[in-house]
Amino acid sequence: MATSPTTVVDQLLAGLHLPDGFDAVAGVIRESLAHVTNSAIWTRYGQQSLEWLIGMNPVDRLFMLSALTLLLMLLLGRLRSAGVLAVLLYGAQFAALLSTDTLFGAPVAAEVRITVADQSLHWSYDALSWFFAMITIGAAFVTAWYAAGSWMRRYREAGQSARAFHVALALNCFGMLLLVGSADLLSLFLGWELVSWASFLLMALVGGPGAQAALKYLAYAISGAMLLLGGIALIYSIGGSFEYGAVVAAIRGMTDVQVWTLLLLLGGGFAVKLGLLPFHLWQAAAYAEAPGAGSVFLGAISARMGLFGIIVFIVGMIGVSRLMTLEIPYTFMSSRELIAWIAALTIIVPTYTALQQHDARYLLAWHGIGQGGYMLLGLMVGDAVGSAGGLLHCFNYAITQAALLMAVFAVVHRTGTADLNQLGGLVTRMPLTFLVLLFGIISLAGLPPMAGFVSKWMVYRSLITEGMPLLFVAAVVGTLGTILSVYKLIHNIFLGQLRVEHQGVAEAPLSMLIPMLGLSALIFLAGFIPGPALSWVAQVQGQLGLPVVPWVLGGIVDPRGGLDMIWLVGILMAGFGVGALVFYGFGGRSRRVHQLDNYAGGHFLTADVHYQYSDNFYAGLMHLIGPWYRGAFRWLERSLAATLDLVSFGAEGLYRVAQPTLLMLAAAVAMLAWVF
Amino acid sequence: MDWLSAMRLDALAAVDFHWLGLVLELMLMPLIAFVAGLGLVLMLRKIAARLQRRVGPPLLQPLWDIIKLHAKETQTSHGLIHEIGIVMAIGGYVAAVTLLPVPGMNGLAQQGGLIALLYMTMIPSLGLALGVGQCANPNGSIGISRALTAMLAYDVPMVIVIFGVAFHFGSLNLVHMIAAQQAGGVATWGMVQMPLLALAGLFALQGMLGKQPFEIYVAPAEIATGPMVEMGGKFLGGLFVMQCFQLYTGGALYVTLFLGGGEHWLTFLFKVFVVTAIPMTIAMVFPRYRTEDMVRLFWKWPTMIGLLGIAFVMN
Repeated sequence: MATSPTTVVDQLLAGLHLPDGFDAVAGVIRESLAHVTNSAIWTRYGQQSLEWLIGMNPVDRLFMLSALTLLLMLLLGRLRSAGVLAVLLYGAQFAALLSTDTLFGAPVAAEVRITVADQSLHWSYDALSWFFAMITIGAAFVTAWYAAGSWMRRYREAGQSARAFHVALALNCFGMLLLVGSADLLSLFLGWELVSWASFLLMALVGGPGAQAALKYLAYAISGAMLLLGGIALIYSIGGSFEYGAVVAAIRGMTDVQVWTLLLLLGGGFAVKLGLLPFHLWQAAAYAEAPGAGSVFLGAISARMGLFGIIVFIVGMIGVSRLMTLEIPYTFMSSRELIAWIAALTIIVPTYTALQQHDARYLLAWHGIGQGGYMLLGLMVGDAVGSAGGLLHCFNYAITQAALLMAVFAVVHRTGTADLNQLGGLVTRMPLTFLVLLFGIISLAGLPPMAGFVSKWMVYRSLITEGMPLLFVAAVVGTLGTILSVYKLIHNIFLGQLRVEHQGVAEAPLSMLIPMLGLSALIFLAGFIPGPALSWVAQVQGQLGLPVVPWVLGGIVDPRGGLDMIWLVGILMAGFGVGALVFYGFGGRSRRVHQLDNYAGGHFLTADVHYQYSDNFYAGLMHLIGPWYRGAFRWLERSLAATLDLVSFGAEGLYRVAQPTLLMLAAAVAMLAWVF
Repeated sequence: MDWLSAMRLDALAAVDFHWLGLVLELMLMPLIAFVAGLGLVLMLRKIAARLQRRVGPPLLQPLWDIIKLHAKETQTSHGLIHEIGIVMAIGGYVAAVTLLPVPGMNGLAQQGGLIALLYMTMIPSLGLALGVGQCANPNGSIGISRALTAMLAYDVPMVIVIFGVAFHFGSLNLVHMIAAQQAGGVATWGMVQMPLLALAGLFALQGMLGKQPFEIYVAPAEIATGPMVEMGGKFLGGLFVMQCFQLYTGGALYVTLFLGGGEHWLTFLFKVFVVTAIPMTIAMVFPRYRTEDMVRLFWKWPTMIGLLGIAFVMN
């Protein structure tokens, strides 16, 4: 059979396993494709290149498309239509990822490989790679769409380079695709460095506080990479190979002390990227100060690369059962409890830091750090439901955070500020953006009927059935803090008094609204019908050797208490129907009044009176817990930096004032002493 | 394994339901909850009246109040979200009570367990908070800020209780919990098996129902009734309906977790009324705590009692 776009689309659709009702959709796609294939240009050039593409190894094809995106953005990034081109290219990457069929099928190795000094770097896609690559390309796709229109025009007007932005985004996506497909320690390290530098590029694009934060990130990222390199060196010195197969064998043969060292090195390296305590300080500012659309991408997926590393090495290769045997001397804890508690503290501390933020971007960025804790916590519980919850939260969180950041940056686009004390009452001006933010906060807080509820429910449930009371309470305390904080977010932006200067604000532009609304629909659907996402997670679990979650279309089936979201969301919608009937069906008609027609203790309100409660929103709570914020981690960071400063100052002084040769000699002796 | 085959499995499982019976249950459960809630509001007022040496309102007064509020001519709306907030406040509870099994009816208790119920009851609060926010009155916003802080306070002992109970019964399924408690009479009741958790739970219930001394978020003289400041007519009527559901849900949940649920309607409703009477009676003899004092109180005593309770349950 001749290869044509129609057959390609048919194969893609077959790979999606869609229900029968989608035939009509496929028909429309086929028809519109027929128009393209009948054109002269197509028969001349298109057919050949398509056949070449089809003949390629699927993973190579994915890499090729991603590299092509990067190249085209380098060449054409300055054009006005580059944004649309980027959206199409990310769409093509998504299709290429689907065509690898590595989620439900067998892993596929890429034919591309690089050989350096007898060591070969190679790549391979499996279910885990597919899962993270899907989130990555999806995030790049919605980000590119969000940035394609009005946002980019404003960005250019501010004197920024559109090409630099497009290149940074494409490079991030490319680096992450390489990283999640890495099949040996060297390709892992290559991908890791690429991702680190690419995200630095995206953070530092606009300069100012963003560049400051990016430099701080760089300091953390380099220390993290050094830890990672140390871990890789340790594995190589024991196993003698960089191949994952040999690494698994090497880890199995390691003594407890060696595994502990490996855990500290690799875990530390990945923890920096994920923003686990105490390495979390860089993240909020770096993500919040990035240019709007870049912040969306970074917030949705970038930090999860750290989690990917933890999943591959600590969950997959070392294994939770091995972690449980590693006791910490003089305590009752094993290394698994230690990591679980780090995850729990990563939930609580950043979440309550978010509660104190006055800037919507920072508030969300701090929550992003906290949500990473839920994912790690679920994975550390390690049972079927818990690890599935942790993995599922990666996806649910990514769509949630992307939608939230998009909504906030849409407000910034229209009003010019993200300061929660300078906004208010925008719901009447930007109702659709309000809706997006509302869906997002319900999901972020983990309330039904949105996606975030499902994954958090799974983490809670596993903590209960596995008998971990304190971690459970810690997880819920984090959720409660999130509820408080996100209500402040939506209240201070959209509810309350509309300020005089915002009377003329318009709804977000369509180019930004479409991806926002699409993500909101996805957030709702992933909560209403969690089955498809759970099926991906189940494949990943199977590949990692974890127990597989007993899922159905509506959620989890389990005799000890399951969850069926189709029923729950259905009854909730029915309840809202009843509520609407009671409210709108009975009684007198309500009359809308102006916002100044309000009770003000006997005074009359005028437009110039600020009648809004926004600053220090939880004054009562802060009365009690305010003094608990001691900034201990900032103090630690500062003192470390000061110590380093002092050491380098001393070394410099020695070099300049005393004898350079003496310093060299001392350094050489120290080096020799360390090596032998 | 693709999700299409799973859908078929799911559809097969769904055939086991007796459709008509289930639909009837889903309609009856909210209705019964509402009527019982009206009775609980009446009891609340009667208790207050008796403690103040008054007679108190007649039997149908709560119902007349709702009808009166709906029938009012002046219905002031501050915008669509103000209205939707009330719809969510009622609708969330209509949905939540179907997760709470009552004698003879399980509703959707098999589809979502204890945690789903707990989070479902947060939807009405969210709706109320959104509606109040749209009113653009700082008194209301301060009220919501305090109400959310209160939630942070009482939910800590509450989730400790929920952990302990779920661990004790080895399930999050409320139907299993009731069956386990009814298997051996009073001796297997949650209250007898887990007295410390029952005590902490009662403490949390007081906060959950928003009764004195934990009702600083209303504070009529200070912030002009807080969330209710811009609520009149059927907006207040909707909140009245919400309160009926709230009292019922709190009482019925406690009965389900600690008092063996209901063998039949008479004992079930009797238990619900007795349990709800306790916080109501306590409320009438207390002034109110400040927000931070309330948080401090909840994070100290009921939390300590609850953790001690868990320690006993887990050994």
